[in-house]
Amino acid sequence: MNHEIAQGPSFAVLKVGLQRNDVLTAEAGSMVSRFPRVKMRTRLNAPRGAGFFGSLGAFFTALIRKFVAGESIMVNDFTCEEGGEVTLAPTFSGNIALKRLKGDRVLLTRGSFLASSGDLQLKMRWGGLRGLLAREGLFFLEVSGTGDLFYTSYGGTLEVPVNGTLTVDTGHIVAFDPSLDFRIRTPGGGFLGLVASGEGLVVEFSGRGTVVLQSRNVSSLTSWLTPRLP
Amino acid sequence: MQIDLQHQPSQAMAHVVLLPGESVTAESGAMVGMTPNVQLTTGSGGLLKGLKRLFGGESFFRNTFTASHGSEVGEVYLAATLPGDLVVLDVGLSKYYLQSSAYVASTPGVDVDTKVGGFKTFFAGEGLFVLKTTGQGKVIAGAFGAIEEVQVRGEYIVDTGHLVAWEDSLQFRITKAADGWIASWLSGEGLVCHFSGQGTLWMQTRNPSEYGQELGRHLPARES
Repeated sequence: MNHEIAQGPSFAVLKVGLQRNDVLTAEAGSMVSRFPRVKMRTRLNAPRGAGFFGSLGAFFTALIRKFVAGESIMVNDFTCEEGGEVTLAPTFSGNIALKRLKGDRVLLTRGSFLASSGDLQLKMRWGGLRGLLAREGLFFLEVSGTGDLFYTSYGGTLEVPVNGTLTVDTGHIVAFDPSLDFRIRTPGGGFLGLVASGEGLVVEFSGRGTVVLQSRNVSSLTSWLTPRLP
Repeated sequence: MQIDLQHQPSQAMAHVVLLPGESVTAESGAMVGMTPNVQLTTGSGGLLKGLKRLFGGESFFRNTFTASHGSEVGEVYLAATLPGDLVVLDVGLSKYYLQSSAYVASTPGVDVDTKVGGFKTFFAGEGLFVLKTTGQGKVIAGAFGAIEEVQVRGEYIVDTGHLVAWEDSLQFRITKAADGWIASWLSGEGLVCHFSGQGTLWMQTRNPSEYGQELGRHLPARES
C-alpha cells in the first residue's frame, strides 16, 4: 500500500494505492473517488462477535462510538485485487496526517479519525471525570497495534513535543501520547480569566510525549456563527 | 479579454480584464470589485432560462459586466462563495458539463444550459444538476477546497458531492455507491457518478453539502 497526502494544509486529500491483500478502513462518507475495480464493503464500526448476540453487541458498540466519540456508525473497507487507487477527504477544511504505529498507542479526540490500515485496534477510552468538564474530552479513541493511522485536523496540524508541561485549549487537541498525564483547569487569572478570557477550560499536559494540535477550533466557529444566524 | 487567477488554491479570485466593449457574465453575487468604467446589467436571458436555473439551484438572474467604449480597459474581480480554487475552461473544441453550483462566470460566446431533463441529472439529494457548455469562449468554475484534475482512461467513480466539471467526451451515469440502496445509505457515500471513456475531470477536495450538514449539527435549531 502506498499513499500520498496532497493539497494540504488547507484542503488535504489522501490518495491510497491498494495492492492485493491491502485493506483500507475509512470513516463513512469520506470517499471522494475511486477506480471501479476498487471494492467497497460497508460494515459496523466495531469488532463483531459470533452469532446474533455478537452482531447485536457490535451494533451497540458502533452506536456508542457514534454518540460519544463522534465517529460514524459504519465504516467502509476498500480493497483491490488488481491494484487501484481510492481518494479520501475529511469534512472540514484542514490537514491529514499519518501516524505509524509499531505496537505503541495513541489517543485521538472526537472526529479526528479518517482511515487506517494494518492490524490496529480501536477502542474508546473514558477520559475520567475530569473529562466531563471539557466539552470534547469525555471519551477518547485509543488506537493501538501495528499499522498506519490517518487522522485529520481542522486547520493545520502542529506536532508539539512535551517535556514538562504544556497548556492547550480543549478544542485544539487532535491527538496525544497516552504516556502524558493531563488535567483540566481554568486558564488562570481567577474568575475573570474563566468567564472573560474566551479560552474556556484548558488542558494541562505533563510528562514526556507528543501532543498534536489543530490551528482551528470547530466550537469557536460555531459559537461565532450562532448569534449571526437569522 | 484576459483572465488570471489569484490567491489559489484556498481563496481563489478571478481578475478579468475587459477591452472596451467586451463583457463577461457572472453568477449573481460573484462580483468582488470593478473599475468605474464597467457597467453592470442584470438579466435572466429569458424567463424560461432563468426558471431552469432557479430549478437547478442557481440564481434566476445573472449579471453581465461590460467595459464602456473608450480608451480604458475595464477590470472585474470575481469569486465564489465557499473558500477554494477556481479553474478556467476553454470552451470550443472541448465542451464541458459543470455541476450547477460550480458555475462562476462565462464569456458571451459560451452558452450555458441547465440540464433538467432526464432521470440521471435529477437527483437533488446532493444537489446534482448539471450545466452544459457549448459555443466558443471561456468558463470559470469554482470549487470548495482544492481542485484535483484527473485524466480518465477507462472508468472512474466520483462522489457526486465532489464533482466540479468534466469534458463531454466522458460518458457518465449516476449510480448508487454500493450495490443496494441500504448499503449505499449506510456507507455514507450516497450517490456517485460513474464515468467511462477518455477525458479530463475536475474534482473538489471538500463536499459542500456534507460540510453544511456537519456544521448544522453544531448550530442551534432555527426558530419558526
